[in-house]
Amino acid sequence: MALSFFDQFMSPNFLGIPLIAMAIALPWTLYPTPSTRWLSNRLLTLQNWSINRFTQQLLLPLNQEGHKWAALLASLMIFLLSLNMLGLLPYTFTPTTQLSLNLGLAVPLWLATVIIGMRNRPTHALGHLLPEGTPSLLIPILIIIETISLLIRPIALGVRLTANLTAGHLLIQLIATASFVLLPLMPTVAVLTTALLFLLTLLEVAVAMIQAYVFVLLLSLYLQENV
Amino acid sequence: MPQLNPAPWLAILTFSWLIFLTVIPPKILAHSFPNEPTPHSTKAPKTDPWMWPWH
Repeated sequence: MALSFFDQFMSPNFLGIPLIAMAIALPWTLYPTPSTRWLSNRLLTLQNWSINRFTQQLLLPLNQEGHKWAALLASLMIFLLSLNMLGLLPYTFTPTTQLSLNLGLAVPLWLATVIIGMRNRPTHALGHLLPEGTPSLLIPILIIIETISLLIRPIALGVRLTANLTAGHLLIQLIATASFVLLPLMPTVAVLTTALLFLLTLLEVAVAMIQAYVFVLLLSLYLQENV
Repeated sequence: MPQLNPAPWLAILTFSWLIFLTVIPPKILAHSFPNEPTPHSTKAPKTDPWMWPWH
């Protein structure tokens, strides 16, 4: 069967093993579990420092209640960052291009923040639906608009990550194919296309990190509104 | 778009959450963050005299 450019996103199976399971399960071998040793090696020290600084920065706008989410948000960041970055290596599969994974993370976590807000401080949570200082005439329509924007958050969260990573991988494949096809025909253009591919790969590295960060940051913002 | 094929959705969902809940948090939580070390000052600290009885 003829391959299209989207086939790289099909959940791969090899000898009956779904490779997405390997792609989700194996990156954590890169993160050794620290022991009670006082001095660990460089890798562990680096990871320790990064997790500490990241969690500190992320939890700055949250109150005491929100600090309970520190472990979850740190785990989520490591999860998404590793999956995104490892997907940029050749011949790897990026599980975060799967809408199922991203929506599966976004919807329950967003719903958790909303339920927490509704249970503990319902007036405060519902108060976010009406910005301060709106003219009385606009109140009904603004409440509708704000409710829609609230309900669209989990979809936006999941689809943002999916679309960014899918588009990036697709672009890389397209430009690499172009470069490869042009090589016998117009070598100079092929070299320029390869340079473009290099720059694009750098961009995709940045996008991988930023999209993981944006996911976690937005979730912390939704938590901040509700906790 | 193959991502929209609903066949592996449940499997991917459950497996990713399984890893996300069981493998990663223990690794993250095992990291401990000791206090910043305070630099030694050059002067000896001022000691207050012992005013109250031993027992």
